[in-house]
Amino acid sequence: MLEMKSNWPSKVRAAWIGSLCVCFFGEMRIQAQTQIPSQPKTQVMDKENGLKQKSDFTAMQEQHFTLKVLPLLKSKCLGCHGAAEDDIKGEFDVRTRAGLLSGGESGERGVIPGDLDGSTLIQAVRWDGLEMPPKENDRLTAEQLSVVESWVAAGAPWPDSKRQQQILAAERRVAENDEGVLVKTSGGLSDTWTYRRYEKRDVWAFQPLRETFQFDSVDGFVNARLSDAKLSTAPQAAPHDLVRRVTLDLTGLPPTVEQVNRFMKEWKVDSEIAWSDLVDRLLVSPQYGERWAQHWLDVVRYADTAGFSNDYERSNAWRYRDYVIRSFNEDKPFEEFVLQQIAGDEFRPDDSESMIATSFLRMGPWGTAMIPQDEARQLYRDDVVHSIGQSFLSIPMRCCKCHDHKFDPIPTRDYYRMYAALAGSQPAEMSVAFLPEENTAGFRDGQKLVDRLYAFADGKRQALVDKRESAAKAWYKEHDLPYKGVNARRKYPEDQKPPRHVGLSEMEKGRLKVREQDVWIWERRKERYQPMVQTVFNGPDQNQNGRKLRKPAKWNTKWKPTTNIFTGGDHQAVGAPVSPGVLSACGLPAQDATDQDPFTIEEEIQGRRLALAKWIADKKNPLSTRSFVNRIWQHHFGTGIVGTANNFGAKGDQPTHPELLDWLTRQFLANGGRSKPLHRLIVMSQTYRRSSTHPDPQLARTIDPTGQLLASFRPRRLTAEELRDAILLVTGELNPEMGGVPIMPEINLEVALEPRMIQFSIAPAYQPSRTPRERNRRSIYAYRVRGQADPFMEVMNLPNPNESCEVRDVAAVSPQAFTLMNSDVMTDRSIALAQRLQAQHSGTKLQITNAFELAYGRKPRTQELKSLTDYVEDMVKYHRQHKPEVTVYPRSVTRSLVEEFTGETFTFDEILPVFEDYVPDTKSASVSAEVRALADLAMLLFNSNEFVYVY
Amino acid sequence: MDNSSRRDFLYGLGASLGAVALTDLLDQEVRAESPAGPLAPKPPMHPARAKAVIMLFMEGGPSHIDTFDPKPELSRLNVTESKRTSGLATGKRFYVGSPFESRKVGDAGIDMCDQFVHLANKEVADELCVYRGCQAESLNHPEALLHMNTGSRLGEDPSVGSWVGYGLGSENQNLPGYVVMTELALPQAGSTNWSNGFLPAYYQGTRLRSKGAPILDLKPPSFRTRDHQRRALDELAKLNAAHLEHHQQHDVLAARMESYELAYRMQTAVPDIVDLKTETTQTMQMYGLDNPVTEPFGRQCLMARKLVEKGVRFVQIFSGGWDSHDYLKRGHSSRIASVDKPIAALVQDLKRCGLLEDTLVVWTGEFGRTPDNNYRGGVTSLGRGHNADAMNMWMAGGGTKRGTIIGATDEIGAEAVECVHPIRDLHVTLLHLLGLSDSKLTYFHGGRYKQLSQFGGEVIHELIA
Repeated sequence: MLEMKSNWPSKVRAAWIGSLCVCFFGEMRIQAQTQIPSQPKTQVMDKENGLKQKSDFTAMQEQHFTLKVLPLLKSKCLGCHGAAEDDIKGEFDVRTRAGLLSGGESGERGVIPGDLDGSTLIQAVRWDGLEMPPKENDRLTAEQLSVVESWVAAGAPWPDSKRQQQILAAERRVAENDEGVLVKTSGGLSDTWTYRRYEKRDVWAFQPLRETFQFDSVDGFVNARLSDAKLSTAPQAAPHDLVRRVTLDLTGLPPTVEQVNRFMKEWKVDSEIAWSDLVDRLLVSPQYGERWAQHWLDVVRYADTAGFSNDYERSNAWRYRDYVIRSFNEDKPFEEFVLQQIAGDEFRPDDSESMIATSFLRMGPWGTAMIPQDEARQLYRDDVVHSIGQSFLSIPMRCCKCHDHKFDPIPTRDYYRMYAALAGSQPAEMSVAFLPEENTAGFRDGQKLVDRLYAFADGKRQALVDKRESAAKAWYKEHDLPYKGVNARRKYPEDQKPPRHVGLSEMEKGRLKVREQDVWIWERRKERYQPMVQTVFNGPDQNQNGRKLRKPAKWNTKWKPTTNIFTGGDHQAVGAPVSPGVLSACGLPAQDATDQDPFTIEEEIQGRRLALAKWIADKKNPLSTRSFVNRIWQHHFGTGIVGTANNFGAKGDQPTHPELLDWLTRQFLANGGRSKPLHRLIVMSQTYRRSSTHPDPQLARTIDPTGQLLASFRPRRLTAEELRDAILLVTGELNPEMGGVPIMPEINLEVALEPRMIQFSIAPAYQPSRTPRERNRRSIYAYRVRGQADPFMEVMNLPNPNESCEVRDVAAVSPQAFTLMNSDVMTDRSIALAQRLQAQHSGTKLQITNAFELAYGRKPRTQELKSLTDYVEDMVKYHRQHKPEVTVYPRSVTRSLVEEFTGETFTFDEILPVFEDYVPDTKSASVSAEVRALADLAMLLFNSNEFVYVY
Repeated sequence: MDNSSRRDFLYGLGASLGAVALTDLLDQEVRAESPAGPLAPKPPMHPARAKAVIMLFMEGGPSHIDTFDPKPELSRLNVTESKRTSGLATGKRFYVGSPFESRKVGDAGIDMCDQFVHLANKEVADELCVYRGCQAESLNHPEALLHMNTGSRLGEDPSVGSWVGYGLGSENQNLPGYVVMTELALPQAGSTNWSNGFLPAYYQGTRLRSKGAPILDLKPPSFRTRDHQRRALDELAKLNAAHLEHHQQHDVLAARMESYELAYRMQTAVPDIVDLKTETTQTMQMYGLDNPVTEPFGRQCLMARKLVEKGVRFVQIFSGGWDSHDYLKRGHSSRIASVDKPIAALVQDLKRCGLLEDTLVVWTGEFGRTPDNNYRGGVTSLGRGHNADAMNMWMAGGGTKRGTIIGATDEIGAEAVECVHPIRDLHVTLLHLLGLSDSKLTYFHGGRYKQLSQFGGEVIHELIA
């Protein structure tokens, strides 16, 4: 190695580090930055050897230029300095050595071989006086800088193109060298990309699953890393913690008092059997599917509306939500889960379940308002390509929409091959018969309500239209012309027809527009009670309006989609044509591959998605199988074996236990791709059962600051859904009914009635479900509107459904305290628990004990009991002095909006029929001071860390 | 709390960021990682020209042609046929001349339509830096709003205010660092416009309501008094403290306890801001609080000044109803009337308090409007369509050039032709004025370091004094 002298100029030193010729110079000293490294001053053993060294040096320099320098010049400089022959910026041409040597318009030489400081190229890339490339983001890294510097220092050799080709060809025959590994793909837009090298660790996910393993249990792999790190483990957690941990983990609900007692009793007899039986009970409970479906719905961005301008309701999107719940409860094989969601319509066209599953393809936010059709189509397909990649393969695809992937072996060609697989898929709502297992309860009442709201809007609209038309009639009469209806008079010149809003006041103009919008909003909501499914059909591109997406009765069956690479992602910049296909970097051919290319699939419009889905569902697909298994692991431990569950690429996390991930995946596949055996394997491990308290926390934190070694269990905060559901369970209000039309929980009334702009109008007010039974179902069933979140859920970090959520945020922000202490929702829940306590026990102490059992699954400690007894008794006195106000629900609401026609505010009334025979929760004003005092206690428990965290 | 435990608090247990990302973050400009908490003030990356931003957002797309970018040529063409094709224009179209007169105001000679009376006062007009070169991309409101507010049309990314909070923290820990006020209705795309996106939830915009409880559920129902609350919080602290004894390793618990105390302090700090009783009658009149036309926006402008005075970093006020497809004269004149006096008062008031120098005021919409219109309902509707190719906005204070017009649109206002920049450059400029560099203010998410401009942009130096 070159021996570094500390008095060398640091830049020269940097230039030499990592350059290919360093070893050759031996102990040569460079005195000045300008010295040209030519003949070394070390002794040459003999003449022949000297010549060989010299030619080696040349060869290495030529390689260095061809493999390192030239690609840099091309990617960093050529765009402005050579790409367009007639527009070379600053007249500085980097296409040839001569151009570089002569420099640009300044007259200074661009490159002076051997003279780093004198070369303006070097000054520029160093950002020393000149700044090139000009953007901070494009600036050369220190490593890139040294590549260029060492080349100039070595005399800036520039082999001819034939020699360059030789060098490149030789290099590309070597699968792995010091620079990394080659990954074979369908090919990038340039050879530089196609033959670039990857660090092996960065492409781990594309490698096949391991076949052989050092260990044969979760604990085997985990403990091996712990013992390598010399980190002891936490002991097994206390049974009380374990039952709460695993029950919340597998069902999203805390254990009931009975469940805790049963487990504790069985634990004393035989802890292993008790644990195993508990796990089995939880895995067969229907609440398991409700919990684990939520994780998948987070990833695929489930919502009941379409977002953007109109935020249209997606009629019966809930059928997909229930499909996912059923799939988990039935322990559906992974293969089927994939095929149904991506291509259920092609896979089993006559099977309702498979048709419902294709709603996956309709989960992203999407609208057509004021967007050119071809752009809207592109937005839709881009979204689905990205979503399939991210959800099923843990490869976010958006990066390679515009260019070959910067870090991962995914050429933009593969992006457009997947895009082509979707090129005939047209979003639509279609009628698919309800399954016997689908919950259609509440249809009659729901329909009645929708009909009523429709009739109200239509009546108001009609009255305004009548008023306008009678003014129009008067106008025609006055002008002695025959009356023409509103559509008929459109084409007449303006002096032969009345003004546009004739007869309407400014206020009425706005109201008419609002009522017109309301009419179609409610008309559309009537579809809630039709067997609609959000799906796609294979057919030609057609004019689409997000308001109503239907399959046309007839179309040109000869139509065949053609797909090209869109250069830079611009749909108007049509590049090379591509065939439908799959990702090529794993080397896994498509099952239905064409003869020409193992990664392309048949071009028939019917079956493209199925071929893609089959490739994803293939047991040998290392991305999809690892992705799914990693998600399951993540939800048990808070962090995945790969910390970035949506991204297995180079910029994602490295797996902390790569062998374990592969072993688990093999186990998962050996069990038919079923999740339940995998859960069992994980939760039965000692790793999962460890206490969250480490015996030596200082050591644990030093050795493993992020906790990835799993020496102890990571506590976690309840998610928004878990918190709401847990509270409802504790108060005794939870209605376990499953599935069906979304429920409308009571949300902050101010938000419910707050006007929210949609195209031309404001969205109708939010009305909660009429009875507590309907409202108090699990949160997964709550109506999810992209444009309006339930503020309670939102503040507890419910994710924005416009983006895939791989893991929930748990930031503790102060508005959470406002909601959990002050909201009506929480006041109502506290009263409910207080009533339950009062009904079951008399005497404050017994009531407090009962409250602890219900909320925490334990009895209060002496000090807690004493302190809280005082509190409750004090609060009884307080509440005798303070009377709550009576809650009144409005039956109609006056809403106001700035009207664009006038720039002024106008108002209109909306009816809220739900509140006519509404059954509210029990309110503070209707209970005694004693109950209100117990409610204060309940509020404390719900807010406490012990309730909100799982250990 | 030491640094590593603070990290637990920030990203929580079962962290949303993987270990690698965290390590990278620690090596980078670690913005959320201040030892004093995620919202503690952080030094700018380079000398800042502005400390705070007040963004006045005219939702619907105010017409540049009828506000600060007059087009005499259009008056000549008024109601003649337009052959222009762009965007979604279909069917027959005609040009629409401005219904307003324009004149040059102040010493600087800023073009301003005659509907602006108070803004035309030279004390105010000479502070403005009108910019006519910005171009949007989307032709529909939600996408364009999201683009202007979050840098992306897709509704997934953090808003400008969130990035600023992430970059600079907040000067006042008892108030939210990023405050949003809306007029009657939520703008299209709703709260996504002030979403924290992938940034931690601390940086989300907080809506402040000028009527009722300023923050949702800020206070309990009135039968539970402040004393009652104090007692409840004390009892809760006891419960949590006992619990903490069994879980001493978990710092996040203490952090959560702190958040309750902060909430309690906010309960008094926030209403103080909303309460305008401490302001003089003269000030209230200046903002137009004595007139129902100007009262709603005036109240919010006055609150904005108070918030900035108290150290709030980013305040955004939405004014709706600028979408004049028809009845342009009426629509725009009354919209202008509702904001003219309040905005003029805000600029003058900031100047009076010595805050204008450090406060960047931005007046903008999501796009501009077209020089022509289509026949709506078969009638010559005097209004304008959506125009992504041309718009205008102005800035005042915060290091921008006083009394200047930068950039230009073509002679009918169809398209920006001088000093043309996409929205991302505006964002980069805004961050730059605040002492933040867009390319350094990054956050690792979805496989890459993300930034407000998406993939980088440039500072519009012409706007900077």
